[in-house]
Amino acid sequence: MHIPFCTAKCGYCDFNSYVGHDHTIPSYTKSLLTDASLWRAAVGGRAVETVFFGGGTPSLTPLPEMQFLMAGLRDAFDILPDAEVSLESNPGSLTTEYLRGLRDIGFNRLSIGVQSFDDEELVSLDRTHSADEARQAYASARDAGFDNVNLDLIYGLPEQPLSKWQSNLEAALDLAPEHLSLYALTVEEGTPLARDVARGRTPAPDPDEQATHYEYTQERLARAGYEHYEISNWARPGRRCRHNLIYWTHREYLGMGAGAHSYLNGARFGMVLLPNRYGELVDESAAAQDGVMRHIASAETPPPELVMADALILGLRLLDGVDVREFARRYGASPDDVYGDILREFEGYGILERTPTHLRLSKRGLLLSNELFLRLLPEAVEV
Amino acid sequence: MEPARIRNFCIIAHIDHGKSTLADRFLEMTGTISRRDMSAQVLDDMDLEREKGVTIKAKAVRMAYTSKAGTPYELNLIDTPGHVDFGYEVSRALAACEGALLVVDAAQGIQAQTLANVYLALEANLTLIPVVNKIDLPSAEPERVAQELVDTLGFAPEEIMFASAKEGTGAEDLLESIIARVPAPSGVGDKPLRALIFDSKWDTYKGVIAYCRVIDGRVDNKRKLRLMSTDFTFEPLEVGVFRPALDAVEELTIGEVGYIATGLKTVKDCRVGDTLTDDGKPADDAVPGYRPAKPMVFAGIYPQQGNEYPLLRDALDKLQLTDAALGFTPESSTALGFGFRCGFLGLFHMEIVQERLEREYNLDLLATAPSVEYQVTKTNGDEIVIDSPAELPPPQEVGQIREPWMDISVVCPDRYIGTVMELVTTNRGEYKRTEYLQHSIVQDDGTKKGEGRVLLEYSIPLSEILVDFYDNLKSRTQGYASLDYTFREYRAAPLVKLDILVNGEPVDALSLITHRDNAVHYGRQLTDKLKTLIPRQMFDVPLQAAIGGRIIARETIRAMRKNVLAKCYGGDITRKRKLLEKQKEGKKRMKRVGNVEIPQEAFMAVLRLEK
Ligand SMILES: Nc1nc2c(ncn2[C@@H]2O[C@H](COP(=O)(O)OP(=O)(O)OP(=O)(O)O)[C@@H](O)[C@H]2O)c(=O)[nH]1
Ligand code: SF4
Ligand SMILES: [Mg+2]
Repeated sequence: MHIPFCTAKCGYCDFNSYVGHDHTIPSYTKSLLTDASLWRAAVGGRAVETVFFGGGTPSLTPLPEMQFLMAGLRDAFDILPDAEVSLESNPGSLTTEYLRGLRDIGFNRLSIGVQSFDDEELVSLDRTHSADEARQAYASARDAGFDNVNLDLIYGLPEQPLSKWQSNLEAALDLAPEHLSLYALTVEEGTPLARDVARGRTPAPDPDEQATHYEYTQERLARAGYEHYEISNWARPGRRCRHNLIYWTHREYLGMGAGAHSYLNGARFGMVLLPNRYGELVDESAAAQDGVMRHIASAETPPPELVMADALILGLRLLDGVDVREFARRYGASPDDVYGDILREFEGYGILERTPTHLRLSKRGLLLSNELFLRLLPEAVEV
Repeated sequence: MEPARIRNFCIIAHIDHGKSTLADRFLEMTGTISRRDMSAQVLDDMDLEREKGVTIKAKAVRMAYTSKAGTPYELNLIDTPGHVDFGYEVSRALAACEGALLVVDAAQGIQAQTLANVYLALEANLTLIPVVNKIDLPSAEPERVAQELVDTLGFAPEEIMFASAKEGTGAEDLLESIIARVPAPSGVGDKPLRALIFDSKWDTYKGVIAYCRVIDGRVDNKRKLRLMSTDFTFEPLEVGVFRPALDAVEELTIGEVGYIATGLKTVKDCRVGDTLTDDGKPADDAVPGYRPAKPMVFAGIYPQQGNEYPLLRDALDKLQLTDAALGFTPESSTALGFGFRCGFLGLFHMEIVQERLEREYNLDLLATAPSVEYQVTKTNGDEIVIDSPAELPPPQEVGQIREPWMDISVVCPDRYIGTVMELVTTNRGEYKRTEYLQHSIVQDDGTKKGEGRVLLEYSIPLSEILVDFYDNLKSRTQGYASLDYTFREYRAAPLVKLDILVNGEPVDALSLITHRDNAVHYGRQLTDKLKTLIPRQMFDVPLQAAIGGRIIARETIRAMRKNVLAKCYGGDITRKRKLLEKQKEGKKRMKRVGNVEIPQEAFMAVLRLEK
């Protein structure tokens, strides 16, 4: 479920999110529910293993709307009793009371966008909260009974020395979250950050420096008992994010909301970006009752060679890698049948390695994965 | 039209002296192009010509003109390019004419290509009409330039015309003097047809279009024609004239300039310089053709995508039709795959050819650094000619290498004599002679007025002037010097091949032949430059420069450490794919040599070496 609203826009962010539209949240949640009812048939009786509220800042949604939404979702779909139900949140707007409310309606995993434990860095990232507020948010989550909490942090800021990242990491470890998502700061096209870099107001993040931060992180978190299970994700044993695992294992998901993306019944599709427009089109689709989803903005049915490339590219992001035999079973050909030459070449570079059952990225390969992935893409893909 | 009423002339000059602008005035005055369709240098109709403001191809156009005395005439004009690389276009145009307007800029005076073109015109026995152009310029010195024409080229003062092509001054007098002075075409109407092909181009519907000058007889599209050098016959689709667009006519007769649409599909069947005759009633002798153009500069041209090789071959075939000086033979490089070794008249010609291939034929090309042609005597006595460093045999098999030397002439104000001399000697050149085109005038009080201008002549190895000599000459003389060159001879020199090894593998397309004394210096510069030009790879890449197996310079490109997408973009897989596609596109513009991706700029790095 995509909730595309934020209290302020962060300079590095290119997610589909809008500032100053909080008052539209109630009508937006109604649209979401209408949307959900439209998908009932396409989803069929399939059981839902995870529910993920992402954004934007889903935690801006008031409790009553949340209640209403969750109830509606349970009506429309068969959500398993042990489903993982997560919410992304930002410090600052999180109270124990609100979080307790979330628990009561079934949320069992909370992700907090901390990004940094250094107030100066937070300002440089245009974040509107302080490090202390992040700690309070974390404490509230625990008080409210969340026993599965993720922290998002960003490393490799321009001119950030390793020592600063190390303190950030220690601050995170002090809190002992179940899960850590750690992202290298990326300059995304069209963001204020990209403009600052282009105009020379901010130096671009240094990829070599980021690599150093990353390698340190791998080593430090292993010592702290976290499993590194995906390029940017670490978890305590048994606490991997089941929702994101669905993406990486190339399974199906239905995304609802402005700019949400889905992979369902062999098709990939994305919905219109503007929340108002999304609402209008959902209503039109509902009124027409003809099964045409007018709120879908783009769709493709990847041909088999692209399906395989996607599966491998996604699967290799996991540290366990891709189970070669299972891959062959699902796609009718093993990775070696299709990409033998490339795979051998990258094994030669020490970027890929094999276990008796799996093909996976090496430690160094994790950082150079794009070099392999772009070679796996079929020629002339229509995107 | 009867031959007595025909005048065929071309306009020749140093680059930028105003040929095309003068042609504009003629086209306007004669109503060949309406005012509405007029634009500056209207004959420069190729995109590249308009962008660069220079004429690349000679252009023919027919004009109808009624003289002041009231007699109608048919005037065939050929505008020629002034750049030194396109001298071959000029010489072909000359063979289709009886006269030439020699245009000289009133502010710049005689320049290197003025002289070169005069010699060509005299060799072709043309009547020359000297024109001092741009007399409207504030800096114009028409009288001095006229005097220069008298002193240097031996014109009579009364022969010299004055014009401003820009403002139109003198244009009518010029047409009158063409009628009065340029001889009408001679030739015999009832003799068998002989038509000289002086240019050609490709048309999708009409095949090869041969640009012709009818010497004897007449030609129409009803009779079968024969090419005299090959005895190849064909039935022409159409004959016509240039106005300046192709305009079909019934026939072309003696002395006329026009085109014949041959319907032929390949160049080889219809060579520029060949003579067309009537298959039913052939002439005995062909018109003397041209000396084929001799390419001086050679470079490999390769498709970025290997599968575009057939397209490239096709494009070169077609381009050769409009550019008779272009030569090419297939070659293959271990680094670059299959491509063509192309011969050019100079670096500007090379640049134009590459750009035309890319634009007009929609190709993505990669060019290797240009080289000259070397003669090699092997130790076993064999003589070979090579135009690519890759062809040079290993050192132990090389007895002697000879390189081409050029005669160059430089025209510049006399205060730059020392500067030019220094530039020439640092490039292994030798002084030959100095001639004053114009002396500064010593006044009664002993001070000098005006400046002297000199013609300096040197011999110099072509390889030394290939790349940046002209730019250096221009900048050291504040733009005042002009340069012309012609081939002189081959001379032996202690030349060596400098190999570049990337990741331990010699990359043939990066090697170069250089004078032994420069080799180490160049080797260091090259590895240094390549280090910045070749992007980091997934592993350390050593770069080495070597002479005959001995490493003389070494650098290392450190392995890249990070290229990874951090986020999963909320399940937006297409987004992720797009980012990867973009990276992939970037890599497509590079050549994979072994496992290393090398961008085009790297292959041109040798052009940026400093002495
Ligand atoms: N002031 C002045 N400028 C002129 C005159 N004739 C030409 N020019 C300018 O000189 C420049 C070169 O003119 P072109 O007609 O292109 O010269 P060109 O000899 O055809 O040049 P190439 O074909 O490249 O050798 C242009 O900017 C013209 O506008 C003239 O009579 N007076
Ligand atoms: S809070 Fe998150 S979604 Fe909102 S602007 Fe910042 S980074 Fe983007
Ligand atoms: Mg011109």
